[in-house]
Amino acid sequence: MSEEIKQEKKGRDSIDKVWDFFTSLKLLIFLLLVLSLLSVAGTIIEQNKPLPEYYNLFRPETVELFSKLGLLDMYHSWWFTSCLALLALNIIACTMERYPFILRGMKSQQVVLDEKLEAGLANLAKMKYNLPAETVEKQVKAIAGKDFTGRPVVTEEEHARHFFYEKGKYSRLSFFLTHLSVIVIFIGAITGSLIGFKGYVNINEGEMISSVQTRKGETRTLGFSVKCNSFSVDFYDTGAPKDYRSDLAIIKDGKEAIRKTIRVNDPLSYEGITFYQSSYGGFPDVTFEIRDRNGVSRGTVFAPFGKQVDIPGGIVRIEVADYQEHFHRPDGSEGGPAIGVNIYSAGAPPEGIWIVGTQPGLNRDGTHSFVVKDMKIKRYTGLQVNKDPGVWIVWTGCVMLVAGIMMAFFMAHKKLWIRIGKDKKGRVEVTTGGTTNKNKQAFSSEMERLVRSLREISEEVS
Amino acid sequence: MTNSLLFGISIFVYFFSMVLYVSYLAFRSETLGKICTLALLAGVIIETAAILLRWYESYQMGIGRAPLTNLYESLVFFALTIAIIYLVMERKFGIKTAGAFVTPFPFIIMAYASLNPNEIQPLVPALQSNWLISHVVTCFVGYAAFAVSFGVSVLYLFKVNAENRSLKQAGAFSGHLPSSDLLDEVGYKTIAIGFPLLTIGIITGAFWANVAWGTYWSWDPKETWSLIVWFIYAAYLHARITRGWRGKKAAALSIVGFMATIFCYLGVNLILSGLHSYGGTT
Ligand code: HEM
Repeated sequence: MSEEIKQEKKGRDSIDKVWDFFTSLKLLIFLLLVLSLLSVAGTIIEQNKPLPEYYNLFRPETVELFSKLGLLDMYHSWWFTSCLALLALNIIACTMERYPFILRGMKSQQVVLDEKLEAGLANLAKMKYNLPAETVEKQVKAIAGKDFTGRPVVTEEEHARHFFYEKGKYSRLSFFLTHLSVIVIFIGAITGSLIGFKGYVNINEGEMISSVQTRKGETRTLGFSVKCNSFSVDFYDTGAPKDYRSDLAIIKDGKEAIRKTIRVNDPLSYEGITFYQSSYGGFPDVTFEIRDRNGVSRGTVFAPFGKQVDIPGGIVRIEVADYQEHFHRPDGSEGGPAIGVNIYSAGAPPEGIWIVGTQPGLNRDGTHSFVVKDMKIKRYTGLQVNKDPGVWIVWTGCVMLVAGIMMAFFMAHKKLWIRIGKDKKGRVEVTTGGTTNKNKQAFSSEMERLVRSLREISEEVS
Repeated sequence: MTNSLLFGISIFVYFFSMVLYVSYLAFRSETLGKICTLALLAGVIIETAAILLRWYESYQMGIGRAPLTNLYESLVFFALTIAIIYLVMERKFGIKTAGAFVTPFPFIIMAYASLNPNEIQPLVPALQSNWLISHVVTCFVGYAAFAVSFGVSVLYLFKVNAENRSLKQAGAFSGHLPSSDLLDEVGYKTIAIGFPLLTIGIITGAFWANVAWGTYWSWDPKETWSLIVWFIYAAYLHARITRGWRGKKAAALSIVGFMATIFCYLGVNLILSGLHSYGGTT
């Protein structure tokens, strides 16, 4: 062997080795188990929490180590992504390796039941009849046609007629559907993360916005405006929320393009951007009556949301700073609507109190109590805003995946050969045989049933 | 008649059928075998009636929703599907002695369910979706198939070990169990039912999440664990189809897969936190 050829062979060997590595099922099983173990880790260490929460849970060195290793956002870490990429390569290589066999399995067909084929068939049966060949053929075709609905390929020979039936040929494509679907889903996910965005926006009732804040912290202009005409929420008798509704309008070039009431499971889409009902809240403008220690009224004050106002009697200023529709008391009980008030007294640190329901609020020293006389709430609706052009690619992949799995598990490529000829004594002889690529046991009993029916054709002689 | 009364009766009937299947393992009389199947079938019918009644009652209460939305309801549905899948497999493969290993599930799950609050509660807005129903049904029928595969795989290992320990003794007891090849086959067939269903369950869940929150996949613990389960059974299928892993190794992987399934279902809620509604006891 010359040096050159040796070199070339060596080169091919190592390419073969790499190829074998990527097409191997060992790699697949290894990757699936590694991905599972990594994912377990990701569910034990909660992902993507605000940093201070980790410092509460772990020691600072541990948090820094986790953060460096990418364990706090591990599904986006380079090593997790690499495993997914390896999986994709594994699938692509495997598909390339197998497709010639699959195409061959679909194409080259032997349509004649000759002796060579007969020797290799597991489900072979022979029957003889004292009937004219035409009668037998008619009945045989009727029986075979029950399971195999397509037209048979008929081949005429000198001493025999051959019938070739085939079913589920395209189920062989299930391999491509299932495996490539995973790649399609990956492509969809990558598309979404490259050219899509996820954002968030609050819109006050009666107002409109034309840009949103993305999760990455950028401001994104929409190219149109979204107006919130109104927001409403219904509750069950138990106090649990029943329905959140935002009446939204899309305004494009100064004209209303669409108007729709969105709910939690019913978003609004416009120009590829989708608005989901996500949260809500409100800003109350409150009129308080101020009372002194003995419950004697000192008069009322109007406090618009977020504005510090003087109260009768001077020295103290108050500000309505927060509002919750369903206040949870520290003991966990539900307290109804609550107003968060900041109290600024001269010569003392500011103080924050919650005024819950119809209870009057008291300041720290008990010198002032605040009774809500009137409250006008300006509500806002909280919307999740998404653009994900990849989502349809993902759904296409999902449909392929389900179709492929169904085909793989519940369909098979079945072939049936029937030869109608004559035996030495001149009687009609029917020979049948079949093969399948999957679930051979079930196919055998199918074949047995077929043969039983064939034997029931009258005047069969054994 | 209320749904909880019917559920109570079905727990009793499941218990009874479990006892019968265990005694069938010991006595193997044909009549007893028929009674076993009838008892389990009775449990299935009564429980189905209970679920339908619960559905009807929710409409009478003015809530009107499918009974598939909290821990209690998912548990009773899970028990029902396990019993049904087992009955189908029993009929198809004649594996009645495996019943002693599978019928404890419906009983234990129903008993556990009865410890959870069972009032019919209205749905919060996120759960008011038809996708929820297809998601829950497919996932739980899939889980139930894995549970049956688990029971059969345990029986398989039991049988194979008994055979190996003493070929002579084998005839005495385990000789009456279904053949190990058959158990192996049923263990695989049930996973072949469960895997497509789990796949559809994950996809419908993703679709629903996308409609409700605008994200089809957010790596929350429940989603991640369902993916882990999916990975394990995908590994099982490939190992089995193409590397000829049968018998012990396949049975072991089926058992691991079911452990992961149970963690995905209950462990995530009881131990990890998540977005899902079956959580805790609130
Ligand atoms: C997450 C990725 C994968 C999924 C979801 C998946 C899914 C499936 C499913 C559902 C089947 C059908 C079982 C059947 O035909 O009865 C199958 C078969 C198969 N898979 Fe995969 N697979 C994946 C990755 C891979 C990879 C990377 C390889 C190659 C190393 C591979 C090789 C095969 C082979 C050889 C078969 C048997 C096909 C046949 O029966 O003709 N798979 N796979």
